[in-house]
Amino acid sequence: MNRMLFTAATSLVLVTASAAAQQQATITGRVSSDAGVALPAATVFIESLGIGTQTGNDGRYSLIIPAARVTGQRVRLSARLIGFRADTAQVVLSPGNITHNFVLATNPLRLGEVVVTGAGTATQTEKLGSVRNVVEAEQIQKSNEPNVVQALAAKAPNVEVTESSGEPGASSYIRMRGARTILGSTQPLFVVDGVPIDNSSYSTTNFNPTDGLTAGEIEGTAQMNRAIDLNPSDIESIEILKGPAAGAIYGARAGQGVVLITTKKGKAGTAKYGFQSAVSFDNVSKDYPLQRSFAQGINGANPTTTCTPGNGACFRSWGLPVNGPTYDHATEAFDTGNTFDNTFTVSGGTERTTFYGSASFLKDNGPFVGPNNEFQRASARINGSQRLSDRLELRINGAYADTRGHFTQRGNNTNGLLLGLLRTPPNFNNNPYLDPATGQHRSYRFPEPQAGDEAADRGFSNPLFELNVPENTSTVGRVFGNLGLDYSALSWLRFNYTLGADYSNDERLEGAPLDGTGPTAGGRVTEGTIVNFSLDHNLTGTAEWRANDNLAGSVTLGQNLNVRNNRQFSVVGRGLVAPQPYRLANTINRDLPIDVQTNIHNESYFGQATVDIANQLYLTGAIRNDGSSTFGEDNQRAWFPKASAAWTFTSYLPQQRWVTYGKLRAAYGEAGVEPLAYLTSNLYTGTVLLAGISQGTGLSPSQGGFGGLYSAITKGAEDLKPERTKETEIGFDVGLLRDKADFSFTWYDGISQDVIFLTPLSPSSGYYRQAQNAAKLQNRGLEMSLNLRPITRTNYGWDVGLNWAQNKSETLELRGVDFIRLDPNNNPPFGIVQKGQPVGVLQGTGWAKCGVSPDVVGTTNIADACAGAPRGAVYLNAAGFPILDPTERIIGDPNPDWTGSIRTGFHYKTLGISALFDLRHGGQMSDGTRGALRSYGTHKDTESRATCVTQAGVLTCTGNEKSWGTSNWYPGPVVGPGVDPATGKGRAVPIGENWWRVNGASDNCVFSGAREACVEDAGYTKLREVSLTWNVDPRLVRRVIGVENMELRFAGRNLFTWTKYGGYDPETNLGGAIQGTRGIDYFNMPQTRSFVFSVNLTK
Amino acid sequence: MRRTVAALLGAVLIGASAGGCKDFLNEEDVAQDPNNPTKATRDQLLISAQTALFGLQESGVAQTACMWMQQCAGTGGRFVEQRGTNYQRLTSDYNNDFSQLYIGAGLVDLRKIQANADAAGDKVYVGVAKVLEAFLIGFGADAWGNIPYSEAAGDNASPKFDNQLEVYAALQTLLSSAITDLDGAGNGPGAFDLVYGGDKAKWKAAAYTLKARYYMHTAEGPTRGTFVAEAYQNAITAATSGIESAEGDFRAFHGPATSERNIWYQFFTASGFGNDLVAGARLVDLMKARNDPRLSAYFLPNELGDYGGLDVNTSTPANQISALNLEPEYRQPLLTWAENQLILAEAKFQTGGGAAAAEPHVNAVRQAVGLAPLAVGEVTLQSIMEEKYVALFQNVEAWSDYRRTCFPVLDPAGAAAEIPGRVYYGQAEENANPNTPTVAEQDAANGGRNPNDPSACTP
Repeated sequence: MNRMLFTAATSLVLVTASAAAQQQATITGRVSSDAGVALPAATVFIESLGIGTQTGNDGRYSLIIPAARVTGQRVRLSARLIGFRADTAQVVLSPGNITHNFVLATNPLRLGEVVVTGAGTATQTEKLGSVRNVVEAEQIQKSNEPNVVQALAAKAPNVEVTESSGEPGASSYIRMRGARTILGSTQPLFVVDGVPIDNSSYSTTNFNPTDGLTAGEIEGTAQMNRAIDLNPSDIESIEILKGPAAGAIYGARAGQGVVLITTKKGKAGTAKYGFQSAVSFDNVSKDYPLQRSFAQGINGANPTTTCTPGNGACFRSWGLPVNGPTYDHATEAFDTGNTFDNTFTVSGGTERTTFYGSASFLKDNGPFVGPNNEFQRASARINGSQRLSDRLELRINGAYADTRGHFTQRGNNTNGLLLGLLRTPPNFNNNPYLDPATGQHRSYRFPEPQAGDEAADRGFSNPLFELNVPENTSTVGRVFGNLGLDYSALSWLRFNYTLGADYSNDERLEGAPLDGTGPTAGGRVTEGTIVNFSLDHNLTGTAEWRANDNLAGSVTLGQNLNVRNNRQFSVVGRGLVAPQPYRLANTINRDLPIDVQTNIHNESYFGQATVDIANQLYLTGAIRNDGSSTFGEDNQRAWFPKASAAWTFTSYLPQQRWVTYGKLRAAYGEAGVEPLAYLTSNLYTGTVLLAGISQGTGLSPSQGGFGGLYSAITKGAEDLKPERTKETEIGFDVGLLRDKADFSFTWYDGISQDVIFLTPLSPSSGYYRQAQNAAKLQNRGLEMSLNLRPITRTNYGWDVGLNWAQNKSETLELRGVDFIRLDPNNNPPFGIVQKGQPVGVLQGTGWAKCGVSPDVVGTTNIADACAGAPRGAVYLNAAGFPILDPTERIIGDPNPDWTGSIRTGFHYKTLGISALFDLRHGGQMSDGTRGALRSYGTHKDTESRATCVTQAGVLTCTGNEKSWGTSNWYPGPVVGPGVDPATGKGRAVPIGENWWRVNGASDNCVFSGAREACVEDAGYTKLREVSLTWNVDPRLVRRVIGVENMELRFAGRNLFTWTKYGGYDPETNLGGAIQGTRGIDYFNMPQTRSFVFSVNLTK
Repeated sequence: MRRTVAALLGAVLIGASAGGCKDFLNEEDVAQDPNNPTKATRDQLLISAQTALFGLQESGVAQTACMWMQQCAGTGGRFVEQRGTNYQRLTSDYNNDFSQLYIGAGLVDLRKIQANADAAGDKVYVGVAKVLEAFLIGFGADAWGNIPYSEAAGDNASPKFDNQLEVYAALQTLLSSAITDLDGAGNGPGAFDLVYGGDKAKWKAAAYTLKARYYMHTAEGPTRGTFVAEAYQNAITAATSGIESAEGDFRAFHGPATSERNIWYQFFTASGFGNDLVAGARLVDLMKARNDPRLSAYFLPNELGDYGGLDVNTSTPANQISALNLEPEYRQPLLTWAENQLILAEAKFQTGGGAAAAEPHVNAVRQAVGLAPLAVGEVTLQSIMEEKYVALFQNVEAWSDYRRTCFPVLDPAGAAAEIPGRVYYGQAEENANPNTPTVAEQDAANGGRNPNDPSACTP
């Protein structure tokens, strides 16, 4: 190794010395498209000499070859630009000037382009045996998304992206080709420049299990997904490996797919400067429908005394018609947010050295009033390469990000913004949020706090108080990057080494004031840190061989070592001493600290061989052997094979008129999901004992000063092995009508076996549960892309792209249980896995229905009434109302039927306009927000309501009559004594407080009622992106502001959503990017739309 | 040539770096969970096992037994009322309690303690763990009847349910071997023994009293009012070597720390349902009639300064109901000298000795609490059982006594014909173990009672 470095250093000196000589060769020329347009930023290079440059805005280039290397030899001069076919010319190098012009043909199919396939391997587009989905820098730029995951929305078929809300910094969830695991993450592995990075999310609320009656992910604040630390402007391209057929080279970490991100690099040539500045304005995309006609109260009467949190008359809005002013709670918490995003880049280099540097600062002042919605990211990146010798190149890529978020409490949480806001009676003024007399937090359930009430519960927080007073922050410092070496040992053999690192420290604070609500009353401070650090070592050797023009190939062998460490440390303090600051030291009591560490080691070897036959049939075979510390001792190593074939059949067939290019491809691969750490060990624990838990705080196993331990209730699974998805993928890509159109079709079938879940054990066996490889899932589907370029003229052009995809998920096997919940601590409805059903179907209660419910529901026999009735007919009792079937059943499926996107762009000279529509058909959402607000009487649905009064202790209602089974009120068949024989529909019944709040089968669904009644269609069509760009005349720009190029863009993001969904937005999820359960809306933060104006300067 | 060498060198490097990482996957901090221990000493396990036994005997089942025996009464919230007055039971109610018989700190760890102590040659320690096992499993057999035991906490994923009487028989064998072990070699747990501080004589006595208790559980005859003489004889033999004085009482350990407090106290202060459990009229009235000095130890005065309990069949005005008198550090008596004496009294009374043989034991107990002695003529099965009913306040054994003798006479709540003789198996067991009888099967077998309880106590 030393010798190698020495040689490298020597040759560097020699090169530098000889460059001083005068006998150099200069190659100049122009690169233009076949339409005659000058092509800027094209790379012109001589690969054998490692010399290259870039064309300027006029398409001209100039390459200088030092005299020492000019020996009259014949070299290959190449020109390359993405979107065009590369061209190569033979040039004889001799001192003096040489001229060569290139005319590049457009290459919409990207043939010949290098495709990064992971773990140090690469191939070319036409050789790829699986479908290629690439997202280019320009598409990411145009999305105007600060979060790279969100920028992938609607970019490729079967890449499902869900933004948890429009709050600044809120996580985005990404899933490709369905859920293939139960316990693990269903999101893909993110790899940046060859190094896996962390894209996890963590809820601060999980630092506080004492108050966490439910899982932290469904309350607390928004959580970032850690890929948000990546500045999207630094991204050159993203390759999406959707399934094991493509990603098997990543073995046990690729079961949910892989996202390969390549960052920008400098190119030889004069330094280029870029400055990109964007300002955007965003607001909440919808006003929530609320009623403003009826006042606070219950049983048709207003509260008779000043409200206190314990007064049941004050919770809801079932009072008299409002007599006096009302307040617009749908809008009072929101204003127009703004985002400033500035990035400065500089790149360039010589034939031996390249560099790319960027510095950026983004600040998003979110669309809520007050300071508690803000996201900012300062980031810097430096990517450099140095050719140490003709054979050895050193690369260094590194980025630092300082990411900060200020959040507001949300979700299923009495401190939550929308829970308090949308439940506020219309006649209550949330302003001022501090009581003028005492300065204390006032809320609609506690409007007049008195001296001494500082630490009293507020019932629900005043939303404006939540937006201003508490402090919920996440402050992250992150550094990630890698050091790489490329060594071309022989003409046919090269080595690649990458050592990558990823470190982040996330400091969390949740400071709840003295006059907080619920468990935070009296003040509460949660402080914690999440530290993540990982190292990745990847060494590959690739040998290429060529027997003759018709037979060639390569062999790659590699080794990967990966170390991941995660530490979570936190303490909850209770009872603030002074009102401020929110620090642990300023609290009276502290809970026991949480201190959890996870260390994972992977050790893997892989090999890949390719054979190219007759330049039309390309075969690839690969295998990876993974070892992981998370596997059971008896199964510590696992093999993951892959094979694919691509056949360019148009090379074989005679030239076709319609089909100008065609490729058939087939691939098979296996990849997995590694078990969670430490499931294999039999452990002892010192946590509170099970016996007596519901009887108080319980007994700790340590007593009287003696430490106690007992066997953990989860039995170690010594023979646990990785989950394994075996996927077959078949498809074709065709270029039609002289590349005016291309079409891609893919069918895949993935069986995920050995899927791990915590199987319940008989407690009498000594344990409660054990992780077992006991489930089998299937995801199969179709993916299609059609791109049309009807007009491609020099001055104007029009193109359209369509994507369509379908994924069908089914649980094939679930050993030992009938169903399991994806997230055990949630409130209903629960996302579950059940045999024969798609993963994640929603389980909950519903109305007694024929063919769905048991014959006897509670004490009511519905079988007789149901005889002969259609399946699903709603049973109505004598009063005309449905009854509740308490047996939990499957009531919805959040998985979409199909997804798609439509992209179109039109340009005329320097003007361009483009739009991107995101389509999602089917898939359901449990709209608990609506259910709760119906019970609270604030939802717009309750504005038309029966008049209800209490007569002799009974709520009696008249008016607003509806009949079940009619078009305006739960249409569909009905049966039972409540059916009016005259109409065949339900008896007309008054719908008011009696139904929405009181009736046990009510469609208020989240409290006592039928959960099923809240399930809604969550399909949508979104105008994701629209942008208008203008490339200002370069001559003008150069003269006036001295830069080479100026692009102005006016864009919109999420401007319109067409949906039947009644809540804020069908794109949302309570559990954010953390939970496997999808399709839950419960006072989730709203989505936003944005208008963006940006200026892009380059010099 | 040089290049070829370099290339080969590179290839070798791959292999070399692989070889250098032999333990990469098995290093201590990656193979083992750094957050939780993978080893525990028998002392650590013993502390937990004792604590679990205390918790079990003071929580769910004990509270239910207290209500059903009308020593306590449920009021207010439905949480307690349903279980106390309407005798509604759910499989989820006693899930944690049932599981705790077997899981960590239960049988699985008691077996580990025994194996570990046995290997170390500490027979005394083995004996202590066996007594705890007998106490724990016996508690399970009392409440659930047929339970997994012979195949429990072993390799069988779905242990079979053993007949309750076989379980009791197995426990007698276990206790006998425990007594032998306690006379064997070894230092025993010493200070880690939260009950007796390592006093093996007291453990032996407790083992004998426990044997006597379980013999008594098999004493109910096939028809109501008949009894099995042999069971009584065995009980007398065992109890004669049983706990000799109140100093030898087997009491739970509790301390002032949040997680060391008596569970009854925790229930009242930290469960959110504490006010739902109050004094029961049957016990309070009995004690008032006897002028029992323990009244103020058991209950707090009501708002009128007097003592009163809630009658499950008539609503008592709220201001007349006493609360339970609870202390966080109260060491709940689980197996006592008083019980041992009253076992002797009942068994001798029933096996021909009559009142004369029982009288010294009954009066010893009365004297110890400051009550006037009974005349021989006043000693009847009923008075013995009432004496025991008062003495065993908050102790599940009162429920077993009632099921056997139908004393004290209790009026079941509401329309119920009888007080339930058992509780349902836990939901987790029902879900995972196919051998678990369904609720319908549990209700159908022997009138919903356990095998040791052939006849119901109908009024």
